[in-house]
Amino acid sequence: MQGFDPKWRDVPDFIFGVTREIWEDRNIASLRHRYAPGLIVRSPASVVIDTSNVIAATMATLAEFPDRELPGEDVIWCEDPARTTPQSAAFLSSHRLISWATHIHAGVYGAPTGRRLCYRILADCAIRDDRIDDEWLVRDQGAIVRQMGFDLVGWTRDLITREGGPEHCVKPMTPHNDAPGPYAGRGNDSPWGARLADTITAIMAAEMGVIATAWDRAANLHYPGGEPAFGQAAADQFWMGLRASFPNAAFTLDHVIGREDPLMPPRAAVRWSLWGKHDGWGRFGRPTGAEVYVMGITHVDFGPFGTKGEPAIRNEFTLIDDAAIWKQILLHTGDL
Amino acid sequence: MTYSNRWKDFPDYIIGITREIWEDRGIETLNQYYAPDILVRTPMGMAIGNLSTINATMATLAEFPDRELLAEDVIWSVDDNGHHLSSHRIITTGTHLHDGGFGPATGKRFQVRVIADCAARGDQIDDEWLVRDYGGIVRQLGMDPRTCAAGLIAAEGGPARAKRPFTPNADVPGPYVGTGNDNPWGQRYADTLRRIMDKDFTYVLNAYDRAAIGEFPGAQSVLGARAISGMWLRLRSSFPSATFRIHHRIGMEGAMMSPRAAIRWSLDGIHDGTGWFGAPTGAPIHVMGICHAEYGPWGLRREYVLFDEIAIWKQILMHKGEA
Repeated sequence: MQGFDPKWRDVPDFIFGVTREIWEDRNIASLRHRYAPGLIVRSPASVVIDTSNVIAATMATLAEFPDRELPGEDVIWCEDPARTTPQSAAFLSSHRLISWATHIHAGVYGAPTGRRLCYRILADCAIRDDRIDDEWLVRDQGAIVRQMGFDLVGWTRDLITREGGPEHCVKPMTPHNDAPGPYAGRGNDSPWGARLADTITAIMAAEMGVIATAWDRAANLHYPGGEPAFGQAAADQFWMGLRASFPNAAFTLDHVIGREDPLMPPRAAVRWSLWGKHDGWGRFGRPTGAEVYVMGITHVDFGPFGTKGEPAIRNEFTLIDDAAIWKQILLHTGDL
Repeated sequence: MTYSNRWKDFPDYIIGITREIWEDRGIETLNQYYAPDILVRTPMGMAIGNLSTINATMATLAEFPDRELLAEDVIWSVDDNGHHLSSHRIITTGTHLHDGGFGPATGKRFQVRVIADCAARGDQIDDEWLVRDYGGIVRQLGMDPRTCAAGLIAAEGGPARAKRPFTPNADVPGPYVGTGNDNPWGQRYADTLRRIMDKDFTYVLNAYDRAAIGEFPGAQSVLGARAISGMWLRLRSSFPSATFRIHHRIGMEGAMMSPRAAIRWSLDGIHDGTGWFGAPTGAPIHVMGICHAEYGPWGLRREYVLFDEIAIWKQILMHKGEA
């Protein structure tokens, strides 16, 4: 790890360690060193530019959820040769983490509900020179809101009001407000990444039949909203429901990593997006014609039990931000 | 092994015959794939002979006609005599469409895990231990495990006459005498379970991945070493003085998979503590358990724990003379 503090053994150790430092050890000021100045953090809910704003958002979250813990579940990473310098190695880390927290104080989510939360986050971070200098993040906002006991659409409507109405509210990320950062990599050339990328591409082309061979019959699935599901039928229902809502949207593969590591099954991380009109019935109800941008991140573990003897997806973790999608729909329809 | 003509390898054979028998409805193939005098031990009791397996299979399919059995893993070992043992983890699903052992049809769907330890010689299963998440099915059909156990006792003629759940003194030795293998991952998991049963719950926090996934009876899925430790504590706390034994231990490293382990164990003793099963009753208890674990670079990463809550409640209620 040329260019990184020697206390970090490898990329996962750096990512897990930095997360712990900031969130659990309360060393929020370390963000000034750990995050590059001008860092862009893109999430479906917003595009946050500059570390000072990231620090402010971090403190706001910890004020609302003081006991928040963020154990890391996996880090699927690749080298970034284009940005490697004589001084530092460079990487892209796709980090899957769990967030546990109690909604103790009032904040972005409204009056405190006292509810105990458990949800997943997928965060793609570009790292170099011992710090994070570009980021894409999807939080399971749907799980958070449901676990607080709210209806997702109603809560999103209230959020728009709390943020000052349709004119002033925080705008979800779209290609219009996205800003280019220093990282322009597309991932690595591992066949496991290509396998997952091909599978998602086929699904987005409505070739839903691939699910019968690409997924293990007993696959464990973790979709937005946080309810665990099993098997090919559940995979079909999630992907069908998503694509059916945006049947003509442009699909883009934004980043593809595959890895084989000791003690782990082969796995892959793909960041993808949909950009187009909400013009079909599906996961988001009645079509509204709203222009919607969906950023998704998918992690999978492969295993040997494919129905035709080929490798198949045994564990899948896909996140989109249902609240950010509803926000775009509500801002379009004006049903506030 | 004679199965080599039809099946790619041992797991393929196990997964293949499961599909053939239960999903493709080849129930008569049990005559070929199961030894005629096979012993099938489950926490609810022991079934002797292939005919009872065939009849039970038909009864299940009559009640849940769309039942599926999805093979999640096969962790296996082979002893010096070529006798294989497959510890087969299955996700079983079905819709309660017709009246049957679970009462009048509820129309509800269940989705739970089963682990079957099957001994096989050639292409025939000749010994079996099976733990089903009976409590998970019952909960998902909208019932409560304790009430379900009470209902079974009543239906079987009351506490004095109801069928006794499985206990070691009712066991009959079968042809399989193996105890697994010496692979270090199996030894490691056996050590972990022993420490848990020695009430060293702190150890779980160190040996498990902080973000480990735990799957427990009642189809209860928990996240994190702390929550997993809490589930084990609830079990041990119900039977704090019971004797823990490991009967079978497999460790395995296979292509495309994390290192993993399968352990069959038991607890024997008295229901003398407050925990998973309510207030202590002094009932003598036998708990048959099977667990699977997967390891990763940050410790034990996934754990699948099965014991039968209904069989335990049945022992408790029969002791109390309740139905």
